[in-house]
Amino acid sequence: MTGVQDEVPQGLRKVMAWIHGWLGLLAGWMLFAMFLTGTASYFRPEITQWMQPEMRAAPVPPERSAADAVRYLQTLAGDAAQWAIYLPDTRTAVTRAYVQDAPPPPGSPPKKRRPEIVIDPATGVQTTARDTRGGEQFYRFHFQLQLPHPWGRWLAGLCGMFMLVAIISGVITHKRIFADFFLLRWGKGQRSWLDAHNVSAVLALPYHAMITYTGLITLAALYMPWPARTNFPTPDAYYRAMTGEPPETPATGRAVPLASVSAMVRAAEREWPGGRASRLIVRHPGDAAATVTVVRHAGDGMNARGATITYAGTDGRRLAASAPPGAGVATAGVMLGLHLGSFAGPAMRWLFFLLGLTGTAMVGTGLLLWTAKRRRPGAAPFLGLRLVERLNIAAVAALPAGMAAFLLANRLIPAGQAGRADTEVAAMFWIWGGVAVAGWLRPARRAWAETLALSAVLFAAIPVVNAITTDRGLDRTLFGDGDALFRAFDLAMLAIALLLAFGASRAGRRPVPARAPRRRIERKEPAHAG
Amino acid sequence: MAARASTALLGGYAATAAIATLAARLLPGTAVEATAWAMTVSFLLYAAIVLWAFAERRLMRVIATIWLAALVPAGIVAAIGLRP
Repeated sequence: MTGVQDEVPQGLRKVMAWIHGWLGLLAGWMLFAMFLTGTASYFRPEITQWMQPEMRAAPVPPERSAADAVRYLQTLAGDAAQWAIYLPDTRTAVTRAYVQDAPPPPGSPPKKRRPEIVIDPATGVQTTARDTRGGEQFYRFHFQLQLPHPWGRWLAGLCGMFMLVAIISGVITHKRIFADFFLLRWGKGQRSWLDAHNVSAVLALPYHAMITYTGLITLAALYMPWPARTNFPTPDAYYRAMTGEPPETPATGRAVPLASVSAMVRAAEREWPGGRASRLIVRHPGDAAATVTVVRHAGDGMNARGATITYAGTDGRRLAASAPPGAGVATAGVMLGLHLGSFAGPAMRWLFFLLGLTGTAMVGTGLLLWTAKRRRPGAAPFLGLRLVERLNIAAVAALPAGMAAFLLANRLIPAGQAGRADTEVAAMFWIWGGVAVAGWLRPARRAWAETLALSAVLFAAIPVVNAITTDRGLDRTLFGDGDALFRAFDLAMLAIALLLAFGASRAGRRPVPARAPRRRIERKEPAHAG
Repeated sequence: MAARASTALLGGYAATAAIATLAARLLPGTAVEATAWAMTVSFLLYAAIVLWAFAERRLMRVIATIWLAALVPAGIVAAIGLRP
């Protein structure tokens, strides 16, 4: 097969180029999807807000939303083993709660896991806004890949490891790393793709390395549990040592009403000057052994693992608080914060978003480079090349169509329809798959241009459909004073549509056929020689 | 090639896990600090082992080194037992 070497070549730089090329190809399609959906996840709560247009953020003090949530959960699941309550903040409009039921008595079937409960802080009861996964869908997909647990996370970890090795080998391959940063030659076929790959990679190299490494750290407890196993009796014990939560005490079975959580939230915020409470973990609510752990907001510092204070559920007595973390725990927590961008304000968040797009571009141009390098003018493409080209179209050009379909489905499926959240997700994957398969029926160059154009049209349709189906369209928000979130969201959709349309117009052009110059370039440029 | 790739992927993971576990067990300081450091650094170690597995020409040397790097620390951890 042309261009395929079975043995590792000689010489360190050539070896590294060879590893870089093959790792990049094997993991590239999944890495592209992880980068793109992960980049979208910088705006996870904002996407969720856009996907529930009925809900308007009405700021409520945290102690009130905490008390409202507890009151509602008492009526719904008063005998649960644990409630986890996520309070609203400047970016999230709703209170979210997860109920963990007590284990059933031996012999009876296990209870089904309860779905997330979304509480409207304005009313204190479950929201009537449309059911949707919201930004959570892109976020979950970027590390679970829509596969059953734990396989998606393991596959994502494998891709992340490939990425890390590809970054290191890419840097070793590259000898003129700073010179190439200023070099982008358009319209020169393979040369241009190599330039684009180099520029997008070098420009944001610290970001790429950071986001890849910290991504692995977010799931380190899954990927590398062995160090914790040797030092702690259970994984849970390590988690508690890290977060400073006191050990679990069994329920007594004696009913004692829960003391005021508002007072606990206020007490915790008094202990954290300028800090916000973001999460409450209530264990054994209504029992004499009840405890309430208040967790500090991840955005209050670089370390995303917020400090915790635990109170007795019966009388609000302060039981324990997390000690300031040591250097190792703090490093892991800051890495988590860097990955999530939880500390970032709006400007920093947009910068992270743009850097994430650079990473997506780096993976995408790398995939295109693989085919550009192996294409020979006049010769029929070999099977592997045709396959890679088609998969490139499916991953790079068709995924945006699927993501746009997810957002469009949110507006087009009736708000009250049963199972609509699942239908939205189905729309994303059917359109992604359908557009990819349709691309197989067309010549490759046409498929690139048409698929990108279709993705552009779908993104441009989002603000239009939003304006028709809600009263929060650009026609009202563009010059209005409020609703900055909807205005920014719709404008971002138009910007993405323009970017895709630009890609489509470039993909439709014929490349400059240049056989002789390419040979010259290959001699001068050992980078990516594989 | 298959032997080299599988040694890098599986042997590399085994060696990383064994070395990180031994480090977590022996590092001074609190258990939680030692664990956090070992887990945080382990991915860099894994990447380095994988790259070396491809950069070293002699395949037998790659296989022998990586599997010994997995078995020896694992053996030491088994011998000294869990952290009391």
